[in-house]
Amino acid sequence: MASELELADFLKGVEKRAFKRSLYHVRDEEAALDIVQDSMMKLAEHYADKPAGELPMLFQRILSNTTLDWFRRQKTKNALFSNFNDFESTENGDEVDFLEFSSHTQDTEMSESAENTVSQAQNLQEIEQEIKKLPARQREAFLLRYWEELDVSETAAAMGCSEGSVKTHCSRAVHALMTALKARGIHI
Amino acid sequence: MTPIPTSATNSVRAQENYARRLVHQLDQSADQLPHAVLERLRAARVRAVASRKSHVPQTAQSFQQMGSSLAITPNDGSSSWSKLISFLPLLALVLGLIGIHELQNDRNAHELASIDQALLLDELPPDAYTDPGFLKFLSLPNPQNADNR
Repeated sequence: MASELELADFLKGVEKRAFKRSLYHVRDEEAALDIVQDSMMKLAEHYADKPAGELPMLFQRILSNTTLDWFRRQKTKNALFSNFNDFESTENGDEVDFLEFSSHTQDTEMSESAENTVSQAQNLQEIEQEIKKLPARQREAFLLRYWEELDVSETAAAMGCSEGSVKTHCSRAVHALMTALKARGIHI
Repeated sequence: MTPIPTSATNSVRAQENYARRLVHQLDQSADQLPHAVLERLRAARVRAVASRKSHVPQTAQSFQQMGSSLAITPNDGSSSWSKLISFLPLLALVLGLIGIHELQNDRNAHELASIDQALLLDELPPDAYTDPGFLKFLSLPNPQNADNR
């Protein structure tokens, strides 16, 4: 059973990413904050007796479900319902060579100059825009797998799908991001 | 320039490396959240942890109550609910005894009523059973009397 300190530390460590992740989906800061708060409450109220090691996967699943509930409510209200229905990704036939990007970045060195800082901020905005453009399931798989650092089976459990689907979603998401960022002239 | 490997394994590894560099950029984005957002998140976290505090003792108490009621042992008297649960078996026993008593009374009354009914419906008047001569007549082994009746 997770202690009070363990729960507080876990939430503190995950809250920023949870907010950003929710924001990428709903694109509304207030709604994203509400979703994160609801998710924290649900975790604390219903799963406080679970071991600390189970909290990450449980929280990610709760956050996903709470986000989905938000979209359902929005749909019921006939409010703006953006692209969350787009769960099935379209086939992207463009082959992208990851190694081209990999080798490119190996030659690039980070600079802390003011110009670079501004440039990085702009790049960051463009990266976030491209992440928002991803189909919902691809975005979810990508963020859970790589940002939340869940393994494939945990990601599958959190998303309620098979491990094969997670791998496919992740692969397509990275391909799409790489293509789009390359087109914008952003090399990571 | 690094030579480009062609194997699928290397491609997957390169894909994962790219993804991790990408989320490293996202980490920087998360670290630059506005103060107001950070405060809202902190308040939500504090509220959630406080909510855990109020739920965990309730769960423990409910288990304690369940254990005491199953063992039919008196609690420390702190909860009227647990007292009520402790008295339930005794109440059931008393109600059961009352029910059995009423049932036996009804059965006895029914038996007496059926005897009375048989006596009243018979052609022979009930007073005949108090007549010593009639009783003696009944004790005589005379089949003709029986046929005449």
